[in-house]
Order: sequence, then C-alpha cells, then structure tokens
Amino acid sequence: MSNFSDKVKKLHRMNKLKLKAGVPMDDEKFGYIDPAAIKRAQASIDNKEDSYIREVEEVLVKLDSTWEDIKNNKDEKQNKKLITDLSNYANNIKDMAETFGYKLMGSFGESLRDFCEKIDVGNEAHFVIVQAHIDVMWIAFKHNIKDEGGPQAKDLEQMLGQAIAKYST
Amino acid sequence: MTDPQQKHSKAYDLSEFRLLVVEDAPFISGLMSSALSEMGIGKIYVSPTVSDAKERILSYNAVQSSQNIDVLILDWLMPGTHGKELLTWIRAHKSDSIKYLPIIVCSAFASTELVEDSRDSGANEVMVKPVSAQKLSNRILYVIDRPRHFISAPEFFGPDRRRKVEKFQGEDRRKARPEEIEEEYEQLQ
Repeated sequence: MSNFSDKVKKLHRMNKLKLKAGVPMDDEKFGYIDPAAIKRAQASIDNKEDSYIREVEEVLVKLDSTWEDIKNNKDEKQNKKLITDLSNYANNIKDMAETFGYKLMGSFGESLRDFCEKIDVGNEAHFVIVQAHIDVMWIAFKHNIKDEGGPQAKDLEQMLGQAIAKYST
Repeated sequence: MTDPQQKHSKAYDLSEFRLLVVEDAPFISGLMSSALSEMGIGKIYVSPTVSDAKERILSYNAVQSSQNIDVLILDWLMPGTHGKELLTWIRAHKSDSIKYLPIIVCSAFASTELVEDSRDSGANEVMVKPVSAQKLSNRILYVIDRPRHFISAPEFFGPDRRRKVEKFQGEDRRKARPEEIEEEYEQLQ
C-alpha cells in the first residue's frame, strides 16, 4: 500500500528568470530593480490622476444607469447579472480612487461592492441603501474630496452610515 | 556558499522580460502597463478577460521559447469569471512552459481568505490593490530571486505554500495575513 508521502513530489526548477535578468541561473545573490526606474514608474501612475477624474465620472454614470435598470427590471436572472455589473463598477471605483488617495470615494466603492453581495431586489430598504451609496459617491466626486476629506467627508460617511443603520433592520 | 542577502552591484535588466497583465478594467491595466514599462520590462501584454488570456498563453507558451510569457499578473475579481479559473487552468495544464508560469494574484480584497484561496490554487505571490510601483517591483523581484520549488500532490499543484522552508520547529509558517506578507516584501527595499 502506498502512503501519502509517496504521492507528494517536490519539483525543483531551474531559475531561468535570473538568466533573463542578466545573471547566471545558479547565482544566489539577490538582485534589485533600478530605484530610478521605480520612481519613474510611480510618476507614470501619479501622472494619470487627471484621467482618474474622467474615468470615475464615466463609471459613476454606468453605475447610475445599471441601478436604474435593476429598479425597472422584473426578471430575476437578468437582475442577478446587473447586480454583478453594479458590484464590478463599485469595485472599479474603489481600485481607481485608492490608487490616487481618494480614500473616501474608495471606502464608498468598497461598501457598495460588499453590499451587492446581499442585495435583495424585493426588499425596498435595500433600494434605499444602494441609492444612498450612489448619492454620496456623486457628492464626493463633485466636491473632489481627497484623502480623508475633513468635516465634509465625515458628514457624508455619517449620512451613509445612518441610511445603512436605519434600513438594514 | 554565497550569502543571498548580498546584492548584485548592477540592477536587473528586465528588457527581455515578457509579462501578461490579466485585468478587466482598462484604466487599471493601463496604469500597470505604463509603470511596468518604465520599470524596464521589455514586453507587456494585456488581456481583459480570462478567455483572451488563455488564448495568449497558448499562443506564446505552448512550447518553450524566448517568446514565452515569463510572469503573469492576474486580477482575482473579474466580471463573469474569476481569476481562480485561469489559475487552476494554468496549474492543470500539461505543458511545462504553461503550468510552471509564475503568477502574481492582484486583488482589491485584503483578506486572509484571499491569500489562502489564491495560495491553495497555486499562486506564487499576492498583491493587494491599490497598485503602486513599489508593490509591483517587490513582487517581480520576489519571483525572480526567491522562486519556491513546486509541489505536486494529489490535490495540489503549485509553488510550495510555505514561504520559508526551514527545519520544522513546530510552528505553522504558512503566512496568510496580507499585512504579514506585505511586511516581508517591504524588507526587500
């Protein structure tokens, strides 16, 4: 009878990536990426912040129209797909916002994405919660609230928190 | 024996590297591509879907050649499909130049479940978004400098899930908390 360890194999591979990076395959020293190149790479990310504004607006418009479709649609199967789209848009906003330090917008995107897991289209309270998310996201966008956002951000967080608390029960 | 902590005097030349970014959001894949290109990566391909990625991998990696994709950056959550589907497909492939492909899973979810799930599906490294140049370079360096051997077991095929292989001392070293793994990457800097 064979035992479990007979079926487990450890496979050693040659490190061809080292060779591609310009050092011998068996070289045990660690390497590094040119710090100036890393700086340039980060600058290329930071330089896209202007496009972020445009991109987020586009995704917010899609979020709005998908939400309208969900509200007006009675087909359960189709709604499931639309809710997945809504979740993906919210997740896109989170990704983009956090990349450029728009923490408030990122947290709203994350909260909506997570709420999409529980949306019951037959539950009107859930409609209010989703709408509250979309509303605060638009306000955060229009006021271009960056980082933590100060008192205005706190108000928006509170607004959303109250809507979730009131309509979650 | 060489001390691995000792570093090379010259930075890695990544101009021969070919990297595939699988990401549905064009804005994010665009950010990654330009950052990777500035970092010196020679060729960057982008696939917006799992099926497109499979086609690309089959066309570039079916046989071993210098044109092979060397590293894959895979978004975990994509519309319609899941990064896990591609990861499982790659690790189950019969071709060596596909099934051993180093995979960096990228996700907006920072959770222990994500790390465990991706690790148990055969990912090499995990990167939690937001994307930054430092995070990308740390993962690429890790894949080049610290490749783990592969384990082939009845229910698993992928890089050794233990991040450090040392003499067993009774402690579980399979790190799964994202912040714990992030600390490890930061030590590379």
